[in-house]
This record gives sequence, structure tokens and C-alpha cells, in this order.
Amino acid sequence: MTEVKLEEIWFRYPNTAMFSLRGVSATFRSGELTVVRGPNGAGKTTLLKVASLIYRPSAGRVLVDGGDYWSLDEGRRLRKRREVVYVHERPVLIRGKVLDNVVYGLRLRGVSEGRAAETCREIMEELQLWELRNVDVRKLSAGQAQIVAVARALVLEPRLLYLDEPLAHLDEERRLLLLRVLEKARGRGTGVVVASHQDLGSLSVDRVVVLSEGRVVRDLYLR
Amino acid sequence: MVDETVATVLRSIYVSGAATLLAMVWSLPCSLLVATRGRSKVVEAVVESLVGVPTVLIGLLLYLLLSSSGPIYRVLGVRLLYTPQAMVLGQAVLVTPLLISTTYRLLRSSARSLWELAMSLGASRVQAALLVLRESVPGIVASGIMGFSRAIGELGIALMLGGNIRGYTRVVATAIAMDVAAGEFEEAVVLGGVLVLVVVLVAVCAKLLTRVYGD
Repeated sequence: MTEVKLEEIWFRYPNTAMFSLRGVSATFRSGELTVVRGPNGAGKTTLLKVASLIYRPSAGRVLVDGGDYWSLDEGRRLRKRREVVYVHERPVLIRGKVLDNVVYGLRLRGVSEGRAAETCREIMEELQLWELRNVDVRKLSAGQAQIVAVARALVLEPRLLYLDEPLAHLDEERRLLLLRVLEKARGRGTGVVVASHQDLGSLSVDRVVVLSEGRVVRDLYLR
Repeated sequence: MVDETVATVLRSIYVSGAATLLAMVWSLPCSLLVATRGRSKVVEAVVESLVGVPTVLIGLLLYLLLSSSGPIYRVLGVRLLYTPQAMVLGQAVLVTPLLISTTYRLLRSSARSLWELAMSLGASRVQAALLVLRESVPGIVASGIMGFSRAIGELGIALMLGGNIRGYTRVVATAIAMDVAAGEFEEAVVLGGVLVLVVVLVAVCAKLLTRVYGD
């Protein structure tokens, strides 16, 4: 069980006067499916980046399994960070082939190239990416790039997976496919946190967090 | 005569190439640091204004530092003035603001998202920095070419720190200046053409290598 608890988080981007998050408190747990909603500029992306341990808050505490993450030494932080993954709204792909991208996280963990490719195969087949494994990422459509970014996250089997507008570039077929895969990941115990404006259809959501102007205005458990 | 010209051209490439590589050693981490730690308008303004510092001023300061009455010789006992090494050091200092400025601009647009990507996928700080640099290779090479072109055509530092010693510190830029002073305009023009040719060839080779790397 992994739990990321945000306590009274304030966050301001460098060289800006306005706070993007203002005293936000929220908890994300493995095995739960949470949807973060709110208008543009409400702070959804910033919240996800703070909760996925990328951004250090200006004030407040980020507790991972009860321990203050930002007071840990670099080695312990790295170990904790490897349990959570964030997927950007606009997929950031590295130069090379689709497979190079999907194996990247595993390679960072010291997994050999051959073994990493083997590990990726199942999830890539599930997301209909295996046939594209040798395609240069520059030739992918926006939707395909989005799926590659999600696959790259899923192969790491994170305890918590944060997805920022994951359905934004997807057609109906890929949308349903992704929702099915996310449901399965939750079934395996991964906590899934989705920031989205869109209807998540068949996804059985446990909880909805609504943000407005950097504050949590509603935190509702549905199940 | 031809042998001497070839040696002068090769020396120019060596001195300016080494200076560019040396400057990259400290310019790349600086650019990465500024780009990933948020935009700093003050750093940006200072670096960009330093691009235009007169080369004779840099030459003069380094001359005072490296001369036999300067601190380098007094403390370390190393005599660097009028050596190719002094020219390398001088040109490296000269191109540093240019390299930082151009690399920073390049990294500013992509470093943050790449850094975030690496961190979110569980990279250590070193692994994240390597990813940012690896993804930025084509731009860094372009920046290096600019630095090299600036260094190889530079006269003030080469003259003040190298002294234009025949067969030792004479480079194309100082040879052109000497030919003009001696009224040998034809030779100066030929050397000028060679200088341009070298810069273009180095740029084309670097671009081709980058394309091979990218594919």
C-alpha cells in the first residue's frame, strides 16, 4: 500500500507572484481510482506534479507512507519516487523508436535491454503498440504518442499512476482501450489518479476531487 | 610555404576546437542549471551582455593573469603566455558567454519537460541531466559550431596570448593580420577564404554527424 498525503500545500512557480495551489490537502492511495476535476487554471496539473513528487511545494508537507518526502535524503527520495509515475498531458517522448520509449523507465532501473523489451511486450500488445515498436516516434499521431506515454508508465507497475488529461488526443476506440487498461491496473492494486475534463465512461471511479482557483472545493468518495 | 599554411590552418582548428570543447565543459552544466532551476532574467541579461565583451579586454585580463609577473606563474610556476595552451584558454573564456546563451535558450524550451519526464519515470538527478543533454545533442552541436566559428576568426586574444610565433602559435587569423600589415593582400585573401572554408566544412561535418546520431 502506498499513500501520498498532501498537507496544506502551497505552490508557486518560479518568477510568478500567484500561487497555483493554496493550502491544498488531499490523499492518494494505491488501489483507488480518483478523478481530479476543475476548470482550466484551477491547479490540476500542478497538484498532480506535486503529488507525483516532481515539484517541491513552496509550503506544506508531502507525506509518503507517513514520512515527509522532502526531508528524506536523495537515495530514499529516489526509491519512493520510483513507486509513483506521472504522465504529461502533452506526451513527452524521447528520440528513437517506440520501444526505446517504453523501455526507458525500466532501463533507468538497470534492467537489460532484452529483458526490458520482454517485460514491455504484454502491455504493448494490450495497447496495440507492439506492431509499432520499431516505428520512429516522430511518425506517430498525437493519439499514438499519448498511448506510448501511458504504456511507458504502466510497464513500471507503479503503486500510484497520475495521468494528466490522458484522453485528450484519443479517438473513441483508443479511449475505450485505455479506460479498460486503467481499470485493470487498478485491479492489480495501482492507484490511478486522472485529471480530466472528459467523461470517463465505464471507469468505476472511487473518488472525485474538485479544484477551483488552487483550492480543493470538493472531495467526494463515491464508493 | 604550402606546408606552413597547412600547419597554420591545422593549428587554428586545434586551438579553436580545443577551446570550444573546453568551454563546453563548464558551459553545459551552467546552462542546464539555469534552464532547470527556472528562468532567471538577471543571469540571462548578464550572460547575453558578456557575449559582446571586446576580445582585447579578455586578452588583456588573461595576459595580466598569465604573464611572468601574474598570479598563475607566481603561485603555480607555470609559464603559459605565448603558448597554444594560453590561446585555448583565452578563446574558451571568449566563447563561454556565447555557448551558455545559445545552449540555455535551447534547453529552456525543452529541459523542463524532459527533466520532469525523467524524474517522473524514476531517474536520479544524474540520469535526468543525461537525458536532457542527450535529447539536446543536435542543438548543442549547433551551439558548438557557433562557438568554434567565433573562436577561429578571433584575432585579439590569439595575438595577445599567442604572440603569433611562426610554427608555434601562428594561426590563420594572426597570419592574415600579419600579411595585411606587410601588404601581402593576395595571401591574406587566400587565407581568409581558407578560414571560411574550414568553418563551413566543420559545420557541415558536425551537422552530418548529428543527423546520423538522430537517425
